[in-house]
Amino acid sequence: MRLVKAEMLKLVRRRGTMIWCALLTIGSVLIADIVLLSLHAANPTKHGSAGGAENLKNLVFVLGGLGTVSAILIGSAAGSQDVSAGVFRDLVVTGRPRRTLFNVRVPGALAVFLPLLAVAYGITVGGAYAFSGSLPQPTAANVGHYAAYLVAITSIDIMLAIGLAAFASSRVVVGVLIAWNAIVSHILISIHSLGGARKYIDVAAAEHLLPAGVNTSPIAMSTATALLVLVVWAAVFTTAGRFWTNRRDA
Amino acid sequence: METVIETKALTKKFGDRAAVDGVDLHVPAGVAFGFLGPNGAGKTTMIRTLLGLTQPTSGEVSLLGLPQPAKRREALARVGAIVEEPRFHPHLTGRENLKIIAAARDRAAEGRIPEALQRVGLAQRADDRVKTYSLGMRQRLGIARCLIADPALLILDEPMNGLDPAGILETRHLIRAFVDEGRTVFLSSHLLDEVEKTCDQIAIVDRGRVVVQGAVAEIAATGDPTVLLAVDDAEAARRVFSSENRVTHVEVEGKELRVTLADGLGSAEINRALVTAGVAVSRLEPARATLEETFLAITSRLEGNE
Repeated sequence: MRLVKAEMLKLVRRRGTMIWCALLTIGSVLIADIVLLSLHAANPTKHGSAGGAENLKNLVFVLGGLGTVSAILIGSAAGSQDVSAGVFRDLVVTGRPRRTLFNVRVPGALAVFLPLLAVAYGITVGGAYAFSGSLPQPTAANVGHYAAYLVAITSIDIMLAIGLAAFASSRVVVGVLIAWNAIVSHILISIHSLGGARKYIDVAAAEHLLPAGVNTSPIAMSTATALLVLVVWAAVFTTAGRFWTNRRDA
Repeated sequence: METVIETKALTKKFGDRAAVDGVDLHVPAGVAFGFLGPNGAGKTTMIRTLLGLTQPTSGEVSLLGLPQPAKRREALARVGAIVEEPRFHPHLTGRENLKIIAAARDRAAEGRIPEALQRVGLAQRADDRVKTYSLGMRQRLGIARCLIADPALLILDEPMNGLDPAGILETRHLIRAFVDEGRTVFLSSHLLDEVEKTCDQIAIVDRGRVVVQGAVAEIAATGDPTVLLAVDDAEAARRVFSSENRVTHVEVEGKELRVTLADGLGSAEINRALVTAGVAVSRLEPARATLEETFLAITSRLEGNE
């Protein structure tokens, strides 16, 4: 627990990273709510209420995308900061096993990121109810499903970033994972000749968990398969990262 | 005397090159032990191998009587170390950096932070970010980081590097104080003068091999005899010595010379040769060889043998 708190301390003191992550999560949904409210106030007949189930679904999609970027920023920092600062060897010299020093990065990063996501999602859900006007309000099942979706896809990306950061600098990790999430994976998903193999792409599995109606090109798979694919991706990356951290010279 | 560091035939190779080459090292408890060698001699690789930061190619290591790596955690719990230059998270304060390391040590470690900061003179700056610290302050924070382990053994890699004279003096006093408390300090350095002033025992390392180890005074005494001379014409004296192949080294400073002798050449013969050449000698006295002279003699012999 003390090591997890130490990981959190290292992350929350990274002012630049934390400001960006807060902007990408809390800031993005606040801005979205303000824009929707302003549009509705300016022209209520053309622009419906800012809340309601439909707007919640769309904002969850936005929060999923930007939250993933934020998760990658925090994960890559958590995974690389000890080595890049040259402090990893000092931690190893305490006698703590390298695998322990690697393992605590995941709960440390999640403990920093998830509160940001929770606040952002709380604002989103609060806005959906408070500003629903005459629109249908989201159901409790919607709220639960969306929360699970957001936690799942961002947590997976934190673990991917931490695993990958054992091999590369944080900038490389951020670049590679954003490029993968935003471009490369979508190119692969669009190649129909790959057929059922596409369901093993983590982004395809994550999109399967998207709120109904948001995912425009779903790959056929069960929810259990989607979850399994995400867990395997996270396990492979973290195992590889742990293996390399354990093996490398400090 | 109890041995705190012991290695047997310790070897670390990078490809075909042996950075540490069959080292047998014995560091007794309660001393300041200097690991002395020129840059690139393998000092840092040796320290990294001792601490398990890199795996040895072959050989055995024991720290505080505990075999490594089998009892690694148990041994390192009582070891504080600075490897290469002390590095920190620059965005954290000095105190926060110590908390990070304390979290990886036993529960009492965090309670030792204020005392450690006080001891190295950083209590006033402990809540400033490390990126605002000078190199000397980082060195001191590195020592504070070692102290939070309440170590029986401190391993310090070039602790005087980059320090001004006051900082060097302060570090020397700290090291001696640690030894007075019963701790063992193993420090690597290429600064012969500092090692001579700070350490009780040394090992001289060159090209990965320990060439000699023992008490500083004993090792310095193994060097060739040296005499100090005051003459009326130093250049003429130098010319006399240049034709004498049993004089291995001459240093001239004004009208004074420091002359290293070999192969049984004595003070009387030196005096006779100078007087015969018309050089007046106003002073001639034997001098204790410095560690530097011994070190240079040893390493130059090695070069000559290759």
